Amino acid sequence: MAPSATCADLRPALPMIETLRDCTHAVFATMVGTTLEARTPLGGDALRPRCNVVGTIGFGGSRSGLVVFYATVEAARHITQTLLALETAADPSQAEVADAIGEITNMIAGSFRTRMATDGDLWAISIPTVTMGSDFYITPLTDGRRTLLPFRMQDHELFVELVITTRTSRT
Amino acid sequence: MRFLVVDDSSTMRRIIINTLHKLGHQDVVEAANGREGIDRVTEGPVDLIITDWNMPEMNGIEFIRSLRAMNGQQQVPVLMVTTNAAKDDIVEALRAGVNNYVVKPFTPDTIREKIDAVMAR
Ligand SMILES: [Mg+2]
Repeated sequence: MAPSATCADLRPALPMIETLRDCTHAVFATMVGTTLEARTPLGGDALRPRCNVVGTIGFGGSRSGLVVFYATVEAARHITQTLLALETAADPSQAEVADAIGEITNMIAGSFRTRMATDGDLWAISIPTVTMGSDFYITPLTDGRRTLLPFRMQDHELFVELVITTRTSRT
Repeated sequence: MRFLVVDDSSTMRRIIINTLHKLGHQDVVEAANGREGIDRVTEGPVDLIITDWNMPEMNGIEFIRSLRAMNGQQQVPVLMVTTNAAKDDIVEALRAGVNNYVVKPFTPDTIREKIDAVMAR
């Protein structure tokens, strides 16, 4: 088998981006009861979202990389209240918000993994990690190719990012 | 009737428990991973188990395999709630001893129907 690492194209293929966008729409429509408005995907590091709640999941297999979910604190609180069926006035705790965003990231990345599966090619997927803070930038930890999918949820901006770090040739 | 809900996400446990309460089932115990799930089963009998797959420490498949190897736990109905829904995933889950399957994300109707179906066994 001839390795093709030297000329590997790490750019996420358009069908991958569309699949990830569909999965994000499905998670929000089904679990949060919200229709998201999708914006034009952005390639590379052109835009780093300024968001305070970030969920990350790694996947590995014939392709490896990350699915990253970004929300502002206000958007993350709204999502948490809806998932937990809390009163609008009830303020979810920081732990509740972190867990809810972790599970949203898990559902998006997990259904993406399922939709990308083909016979004999099933990616492994990690447990979500969630980072919360004020006004931090996520700096790319990997050399992968990045595509950022912006969404609007009512007055809130959300982002889902696909980072592809490896590609093995399939013959 | 006692239910056991096993999921590393407290959000997902709450969503499932809220559904069980709406269906009139108040007796629910919780676990955050498979190992804790085994502890709950050891503490006292449960009548139906709803479990996640992707969890730290002990995942849902390892949990069900351990459960099925325990005395008197071969028949307890198990409903798996997961995003892992590729053909190979479902085969692996059924082989481990899962009785029914809910794919995340799910509507409230879907999880209600699956709970009813697994209880009717
Ligand atoms: Mg999980």
